[in-house]
Amino acid sequence: MDVITGGTGQVAGGTRPQTGPALETHGLTRSYGARVAVDSVELLVERGVVLGLLGPNGAGKTTLIRMLSTVLRCDAGSFRVAGVAHTDPVRIRRAVGVLPESAGYPRGQTCEEWLTLHARLFGVRRRDARALAARLLGEVGLEDRRRSLIAGLSRGMRQRLGIARALVNDPEVVFLDEPTLGLDPFGQRQVLDLVTRIAREHGVTVVLSTHVLDEVEQICDRVVILNRGRVVADGTMAEVVRRAAAPREGRLEVPADHRARALDTLAAHHVPAEPGANGHLGMVRLELPGDVAPEDSSAAALRCLLDAGVPVLGFSVEGGRLSDAFLRVTRGDGDE
Amino acid sequence: MSEATRTRPATTAAAESPWLVMAEQELRDLWLSGRGLAVMLAHTTLLSITTYLIATNQELNFLEQREAVALTVQVTVAVGGLLVVLVAADAVSGERERGTLETLLLTPVPRRSLLIGKGVAAMSLWFGAFLLALPYLWWIGRDVGTFGSAAAGTFLAGTLLALFLTGVGLLVTTFSQSNGLSLALSFFLLLGLYAPHQLPAEASRGWAGETLLKLDPFTSALLYLERLVINAHTLTQDLPLLVVPALAAAGILTLALALAGRLSLLPRSG
Ligand SMILES: Nc1ncnc2c1ncn2[C@@H]1O[C@H](COP(=O)(O)OP(=O)(O)O)[C@@H](O)[C@H]1O
Ligand SMILES: [Mg+2]
Repeated sequence: MDVITGGTGQVAGGTRPQTGPALETHGLTRSYGARVAVDSVELLVERGVVLGLLGPNGAGKTTLIRMLSTVLRCDAGSFRVAGVAHTDPVRIRRAVGVLPESAGYPRGQTCEEWLTLHARLFGVRRRDARALAARLLGEVGLEDRRRSLIAGLSRGMRQRLGIARALVNDPEVVFLDEPTLGLDPFGQRQVLDLVTRIAREHGVTVVLSTHVLDEVEQICDRVVILNRGRVVADGTMAEVVRRAAAPREGRLEVPADHRARALDTLAAHHVPAEPGANGHLGMVRLELPGDVAPEDSSAAALRCLLDAGVPVLGFSVEGGRLSDAFLRVTRGDGDE
Repeated sequence: MSEATRTRPATTAAAESPWLVMAEQELRDLWLSGRGLAVMLAHTTLLSITTYLIATNQELNFLEQREAVALTVQVTVAVGGLLVVLVAADAVSGERERGTLETLLLTPVPRRSLLIGKGVAAMSLWFGAFLLALPYLWWIGRDVGTFGSAAAGTFLAGTLLALFLTGVGLLVTTFSQSNGLSLALSFFLLLGLYAPHQLPAEASRGWAGETLLKLDPFTSALLYLERLVINAHTLTQDLPLLVVPALAAAGILTLALALAGRLSLLPRSG
């Protein structure tokens, strides 16, 4: 797995002046009617980072990205993207590339035509625009689709085309809003690999919105978790998990006729334990203290069982992963 | 990526005008996708049927040739206007509904340029409808020598009406909740503006009614064409009648472009 480390050292060429952090928001707020979608969000994101923007459905990820990319105005607060203040939306648009959530594509245009159009709308001359389109299509693995109508592309190909479009202006900050939504595992893999490669080769800051935690664990340096429009966790992966992870839990499997003895033994050693879930007569759930590394506490619990002659058929530790932290800070909130 | 690929997009003064880029793409989408050609085919069919009916009527002496030319002119203006308003009414709300508006709003192009580009494409349908009508106008009026003035007058008055309808469509589409609403609203506006002209004879209206009707750009423009073709007036004789369509076109286009800044991703907010 490629992990992109922070810092601006990777900015290829390093030709453009980069002033200020990639993103900076203060009290950013937006409501739809009475519903507050984004609520006083404070963010500071350094350049060159791949940021995972997490949150359940309806958390406000799309609204936040739309405000930062200037297609939606904010009700209150201020922000800077790539060093440009929100009061200068045209310059922000020149500095960002966006793959909007469930973006539509003009079905009647070819891939090359569409990319060329957008490059030209960013001020690239026609001839250069066509060359740029060809290069970007190559970069996202669609070189043999240049002349294909967009209508004939698979969902995964369209997403990659959308990512190519987000790069036509050589952006400093790239926002990808749920880029893997609705893709099969192979398509998801391709898109994530592409995102990783873009971050590395273009030296851009990437904000990846998703509710698929695996994706974030695989490619992000930093995580922000939104819930009901508020930032509920913010930091490196390790920090977020450490601060928010649920009490860790062990799942133990013993032969059914040994379960009572296993429970007694654990109780005698002050390990909180209870019979495991429905019907599995050999399952035991035990709670591992959060202040000790899970390896150590589980080793102690297992040792006492083995010493007491209880046969252990299986053992696994739960918790301590991003998904636990996520569930903990969002408490299962969300639109669905 | 190589160094060369990292050059920032050229944004010098010599760069292409965004409205032109937009118009070029819209024209291509409209005419190369077959949509434009399909409606032109429908227009030709309609003109052919009209001409056939006129020809058979003339044999029976029911229709003067001048009246026949006037009828063809009306059909052309009506069809052209309908096409223009429907395409203009799709400009923003259609993109919004198809999910393609956001990527356009993400470009640094001013909203106004997006609208102008789309307006140009809508206008092209009028020019198409007009060009197609020319052979019919020539053939139907071949004995009365009206072709030159009928063609010039139709072009003049029809273009003003098309501009007006482009403005109507763009204004409606920018603020409509849905594309269906935008199309329906524009269509009924067109009907409402076209209907007064179809009211019974001028004489029965009285002075006040007459004046009121002339405030309808359609009625004025069609009256101009009627006098030009049927009464054999010159092109300049009734120019004052075109003042209302011209002012209406200028006014509504100005309004549509002035409000373009309010164009937003979500209707009625942003
Ligand atoms: N156009 C809209 N009109 C009204 N409410 C909206 C609109 N878009 C989003 N919302 C509401 O705002 C909240 C945040 O939505 P969104 O930003 O789409 O969240 P996410 O992208 O995290 O799923 C949700 O409660 C959603 O219902
Ligand atoms: Mg979303």
